[in-house]
Amino acid sequence: MPDPEKEFAEEWRDAAYNCFSSGHKFCREVCPVMQVTRNESWSPTAFHANVVAMEKGELEVADVAADYVNCTGCGACELRCPNSLFTGDFYRFRTRTVDLVKAVRGLAVEQGLHQPGWQRWNLLTDERRHEPVLGATPVEQARVRDWADGLDLPIGGESILFVDCEAAFHRTSVPRSVARILNLAGYPFGLMNEQWCCGGPAAEMGYEEQARRFARHNLDDWRAAGVRRVLVLDPHDYITFTEDYPKYFGDAYDIEIVLVVELLAELIREGRLTPHVPVERAVTYHDPCRLNKRKGVWREPREILRAIPGLTFHDVDRVTQWSYCSGGGGGLPVEKPELTAKISEQRVGKAAELGVDTLVSACPWSERPLSEAGAARSIDVVDLHELLAESLGVAP
Amino acid sequence: MSVLIGDPVLDELRQILGPGHVLTGKADRLNRARVPAPFPVHRWAERMPDLVVLPASTEEVAEVLKLANRLRIPVVPRDGGTGLTDGAVPLCGGIVVDVKRINAIREIDLGNRTCTVGTGINALKLNEVLARHDLIYPDDPASYPCSLVGGRIGTSGWSLIGSRYGHSRDLVLSFDHVLPTGKVIHVGDGIGRKITKSSSGYQLKHLFMGHQGTLGIATEATLKLFPRPEAEFSPFWAFEDYDSAYRAVGALARAGVATFAGAVLFDEWKVAYLRRDDEAYIPQPSSVKALVCAALYGYEDEVRAGGRRLMRIARSHGARYLGDEISEGDWAARHDRYATPLHGRTRSGQVVPMSWHCEDASINYTGLPAVRLAWHEIADRLRRESDVFDDWGMFAYTNGATGADYLTEIDIGIWEQRLDDTAWEAWVRAKRDLAAVSLAHGGSISACHGSCREGEVDLVPEELGGGYDVMLDIKRTIDPNNIMNPGKYLLDQAYAEKS
Ligand SMILES: Cc1cc2nc3c(=O)[nH]c(=O)nc-3n(C[C@H](O)[C@H](O)[C@H](O)COP(=O)(O)OP(=O)(O)OC[C@H]3O[C@@H](n4cnc5c(N)ncnc54)[C@H](O)[C@@H]3O)c2cc1C
Ligand code: SF4
Ligand code: SF4
Repeated sequence: MPDPEKEFAEEWRDAAYNCFSSGHKFCREVCPVMQVTRNESWSPTAFHANVVAMEKGELEVADVAADYVNCTGCGACELRCPNSLFTGDFYRFRTRTVDLVKAVRGLAVEQGLHQPGWQRWNLLTDERRHEPVLGATPVEQARVRDWADGLDLPIGGESILFVDCEAAFHRTSVPRSVARILNLAGYPFGLMNEQWCCGGPAAEMGYEEQARRFARHNLDDWRAAGVRRVLVLDPHDYITFTEDYPKYFGDAYDIEIVLVVELLAELIREGRLTPHVPVERAVTYHDPCRLNKRKGVWREPREILRAIPGLTFHDVDRVTQWSYCSGGGGGLPVEKPELTAKISEQRVGKAAELGVDTLVSACPWSERPLSEAGAARSIDVVDLHELLAESLGVAP
Repeated sequence: MSVLIGDPVLDELRQILGPGHVLTGKADRLNRARVPAPFPVHRWAERMPDLVVLPASTEEVAEVLKLANRLRIPVVPRDGGTGLTDGAVPLCGGIVVDVKRINAIREIDLGNRTCTVGTGINALKLNEVLARHDLIYPDDPASYPCSLVGGRIGTSGWSLIGSRYGHSRDLVLSFDHVLPTGKVIHVGDGIGRKITKSSSGYQLKHLFMGHQGTLGIATEATLKLFPRPEAEFSPFWAFEDYDSAYRAVGALARAGVATFAGAVLFDEWKVAYLRRDDEAYIPQPSSVKALVCAALYGYEDEVRAGGRRLMRIARSHGARYLGDEISEGDWAARHDRYATPLHGRTRSGQVVPMSWHCEDASINYTGLPAVRLAWHEIADRLRRESDVFDDWGMFAYTNGATGADYLTEIDIGIWEQRLDDTAWEAWVRAKRDLAAVSLAHGGSISACHGSCREGEVDLVPEELGGGYDVMLDIKRTIDPNNIMNPGKYLLDQAYAEKS
């Protein structure tokens, strides 16, 4: 076995054994990929067992690199695992499938084992400084702030709004809504001087060196402009800034990261925002995996929805939603769009059973596949920020 | 890969299933070589299948079996892969037929209260859909979130508190079954798909359940449904000694309360094991040595009346009621909190991740105390022999449907990371001894998982006596070429005799 693999197996061996020796697969039916493929090779259990097999010399990373594509990084399996759920606190242990999958992907890239779609995606991202998303605005550095045309937003300042690639070049109504709402509340913020992709997607697909370079750029840019606080509307960025950046930069990383959904709920609570325009829709809310399952953020989006007059809100509790996903995360849509589409179809199907006309999400990356699936069933997919803007009378 | 499975066979399989559903990768095979039962990790490669197929229909399964039968290729059915007697572990290579893709809900018949599903479906997932109709499918093993209907059929499993409504064998009404030759038959009571009781002909349903995949593959099953109970009461009681708890659980089970679904007895070893984490049991004073919990289901008024009666009975046996909070909390979690690898301890108290062995004998009430002592003795011997073993205590489950026999469980932790041939030998010996104790006390080796693991399986001919010879005859008749799960239940003998 090549040395990096040995090191890897040693680092992950005990965590892998904690799963291997349980092997009970309580995590299986909540896994979105498993739900649509029913292929046991692509399950949290297998992702751990492979490491044990690597340690025993039965497998090499080349044998399994392609299997590890099949994970959206949703985090459901970690929550559902009895080892986290019941005794994790006591033993200060939790199952970390998401990190493990990321680590195997990293190890594969390090060994020159590339997935063609991911390789291309990250190459283009490296060239353009932004992910090559398909949208109305061409992906170029010069146009990263085009979404804000006509809003007169300042550049720099103590607080800046960071807009992910999907929202900046494709789903521009989301950042426009956020900007208008914050202006309405009188919350001061600016835009970043030279924003690059956060680097999170590269890290998720195993391109960690690139991710670190992008992170370095962004942090330097914030520092140079005296930024203290970064407002984040995209759950994926939120994970990158609160989990990856601290890992890269250690204690020196002193930027406050504010999740826009939490901020807006607070502004409503304080009476600084009062939704008043009735929105006549029957909605259900899609808990974005990275908010609900990975960050435990599920109250605030519901608070916002309940504050909007006119809505009929069919809520599905957050635990039931552990097994829901859009399929849009973890690089899955880049490499296996057909699986993303199936996962989204299934998610929209759950909404359809409730008889709603609208599925509200709070994650731009989920909204493309969900909208495509929603179109087939006449279900609108609307972003929570857009919906709030409408009810505040500041449509984008 | 065996000579039999060359490129032409792969091509034929790909034609039957589509290229994406024939897997030959090493990881695909390694991950279908094991189940959660104790496993000699150092001998993993010996249990590998040659390839894996993922069929989507009865027809595809039938075509695969026809091919395998023609070419004499071993076939191992696999569903959830949670079975604890190694049923889904290939012993002779061959093809693993993984049926998880056959998981559609084909029909929900509200008039006759049945549903028809693919056997790759999970009961928890099914119940999410049935809830819309206020119905439940009550098959309720501790593996409820992960076992699948096909595996429930293949093992003829034990339902815990759901068994107020019967076990898998009662709840599965009929199913499509692919014989080892590829012929498809429908098995149930009589000809009916939804009949619960028929006297027409042989009772084949029992034969085609619990065979551990040695007689074919079930693909689509019709299941019996029940109205979702309106109320539930699940008391927990503490006792200062095992004997009082034992007497109490017997009295509860014998009381004949109609809403009584089941009861569980925890012995002192089990209470000590659960005290290893701080979340449920440490708050109980150290005078608590044994526990009993029960569950009642039904309408509000009947559950309340039944509950009062059971409370009276428990108190008269020295029980202390632990209050509503622990009852509800623990019961909600009880499906998956009891086998935590992190609770493993070496003799010096070091925390190590251990695998879980669950002995699952069926023992009559009066045999419980003696079996308990003999089993702990064996566990103690193992622990003295090697630090990779740990005694995790005992449960005994009974329910309204039986009341006289108990699923009797001793849990033993095994530190697989450190297993070698010597420790594995010691384990197999102990496994055989545990089974021998059950038989010596008039019990059965297995109430739910089956009994085809190394060690225990040696005693199956003794347990079944002349019935075992009938098993050999049946196996030879139904599976003339011994392709279905060869090596299990010592059934290979059937063919040796013939030649
Ligand atoms: C944590 C835990 C708790 C458990 N608690 C219980 C419990 O309370 N009660 C209980 O009964 N069991 C329990 N079990 C054991 C296990 O869940 C059951 O034996 C279950 O029925 C196995 O189902 P499966 O889908 O995982 O089957 P598998 O493990 O995939 O298969 C089991 C056997 O059935 C055969 N088989 C699989 N599919 C088919 C098919 N379609 N047709 C014919 N044969 C088939 C296989 O070859 C194998 O021999 C527990 C297991 C775990 C891990
Ligand atoms: S991840 Fe957790 S639930 Fe899943 S098999 Fe491993 S230990 Fe079991
Ligand atoms: S993180 Fe989500 S997609 Fe990945 S293995 Fe776990 S449940 Fe499946």
